[in-house]
Amino acid sequence: MSEPRHGTSGPGGGAVAGDARVGEVDERVVLAGIPLRNAVLTASGTFGYGTELAPFLDLTRIGGFVAKSLTLEPRHGNPPPRIAEAPAGMLNAISIENVGVKAFLEEKLPALPEGVVVIASAFGTEPGLYAELVARVTAHPRVAGIEINASCPHVKAGGIEFGQDPKLLAELVATVRRATAGPLLVKLSPNVTRIADMAKVCEAEGADGITLINAIQAMEVDVERRRPVLSNVLGGLSGPAIRPIALRMVWQAAQAVRIPICGVGGIASAEDAVKFLLCGASAVQVGTLNYLDPTAAVAIAEGIADYARRHGFARVADLTGALVSPKGK
Amino acid sequence: MSANHGAAIASSPVRSRARVLAQIPEGHGRRLRLAVPGWSGSAPGQFLMLGAGAEGSVVRRDPLLPRPMAIYRELGASERAGERVIEVLFRVVGRGTGLLADLRDAEVVPLVGPLGRGFDAVDPEAAEAAGPALLVGGGTGIASLYEWARVLAARGRPVTVLLGARSAGDLLGWSDFEALGVPLVAATEDGSAGVRGLVTAPLADRLRESPGATVYAVGPTPMMRACAALAGSAGARCYVSLENPMACGFGVCLGCAAPRSGGGFALVCRNGPVFDAAEIDWAGLP
Repeated sequence: MSEPRHGTSGPGGGAVAGDARVGEVDERVVLAGIPLRNAVLTASGTFGYGTELAPFLDLTRIGGFVAKSLTLEPRHGNPPPRIAEAPAGMLNAISIENVGVKAFLEEKLPALPEGVVVIASAFGTEPGLYAELVARVTAHPRVAGIEINASCPHVKAGGIEFGQDPKLLAELVATVRRATAGPLLVKLSPNVTRIADMAKVCEAEGADGITLINAIQAMEVDVERRRPVLSNVLGGLSGPAIRPIALRMVWQAAQAVRIPICGVGGIASAEDAVKFLLCGASAVQVGTLNYLDPTAAVAIAEGIADYARRHGFARVADLTGALVSPKGK
Repeated sequence: MSANHGAAIASSPVRSRARVLAQIPEGHGRRLRLAVPGWSGSAPGQFLMLGAGAEGSVVRRDPLLPRPMAIYRELGASERAGERVIEVLFRVVGRGTGLLADLRDAEVVPLVGPLGRGFDAVDPEAAEAAGPALLVGGGTGIASLYEWARVLAARGRPVTVLLGARSAGDLLGWSDFEALGVPLVAATEDGSAGVRGLVTAPLADRLRESPGATVYAVGPTPMMRACAALAGSAGARCYVSLENPMACGFGVCLGCAAPRSGGGFALVCRNGPVFDAAEIDWAGLP
């Protein structure tokens, strides 16, 4: 990762903090109709409601953040243990613990500084509940867009995820689409055989973009106690361990659809982020890395601009899909 | 309250790159002395997240997560501007602490802190109370109690420190506690120092002798549960500091949830790590 530059002028001179340009490179991107000052968002579930990270970074210097997934009512998560360490990563099984939509709108959003781009994340156990929540959240002036979390267990379907069944996914996206005219992203599950098929469903049902990937279903065992480490037995693997898998899925989805993709999964440096852009992502999300370095997203955004400058790209947006592929691939 | 008591000041946390000043064997454990740029002090009972090993020329991503550590001692300003010196105590229990034990002088380790609510923030009566304070530390939990003992003694509170461990070599920080000049009791399971057995036995004795006492207990969950039960029987308040695994330390990973006695969960990092023992559902803690 490049060193964070907290100064106000890049080598090109004249750029100021919060400016869209660093030196001669235009950092601005548009994701699913949402204008962002740079291509780096932070991922849902790793950035709380934003204010938790305010001691560590200037929230207006990242592209934006996706808030913790919301349900209509406040929700308690799983009993402990909820997390476990894994090689170059971690497992979690939190289960969408959140303050509920009312507290989000009335307490969390007003506590944020002006100029912070907030994407709300919606979760429900059936499409109608997603739609009801999205209808309430989308009207708030501080909400720039919606990301629906289609990657958690679906109660009615017996534990399958919306993001694992194309028919359920189509119903979900179509239902939510009717509830908002604003920018709508769908966060997909990686726990599928063909991610391109899921991406196509989202596009066909009117999603403005796709976020991928969510955590990969995984498990860890405490051999001394002969027990699963997590109280929930299964959890989601995140962190650098999953980055090449995420990259592969972003590349495959980018071949299949024209709607923009937000790449997420194990990004731990500007170099990692650039890989996602080259593979077709219009923006990226930094997730698990926020836990160990809450300042990382700003440094990664700056590093992407440095990369663009070094490689002669006038705009970070031009990095999207700029991968040079072998012939016939 | 004088600045020296320092306990009510809640500093904003920083993400910093700490410089190793010294790594000193401490019985069966380690004492790590760090100079932390941007550090402006902590309140007793707060903690920090320490990266699992040195930040070298290659960024290590395995193990990925930082380790929560009690801030053992605040040693004041370093010779460099804007930098303060702190100490942590730890034992090598796994890969992360093994990498911490490999840290050499002048190496850099990432750090986030100070974090959480300390004793003063959680016990609203602590600042004014005059009754005896019984501080009970078990194992590396001892590290959470030194600054609290120092602050309470400076306030004129009658403080007794009871430290329990497997053996004498696990009584980390013993000489520092001795230097405070407060009554100090050791209990070791092998009898190599102090009384043989668990620290809860001398605690039960002191509770009988100390009406109106408050117990502050930090250590393994069974020890804290037992201290809370003893205090409860004696009609004494009991505060504990929990050590659940956590990934971030500042309230976003939600990994450190502890069940509340009234239902739902508290976050150890944000609502604690210090809690009124009555607030915790002890049966629900792993």
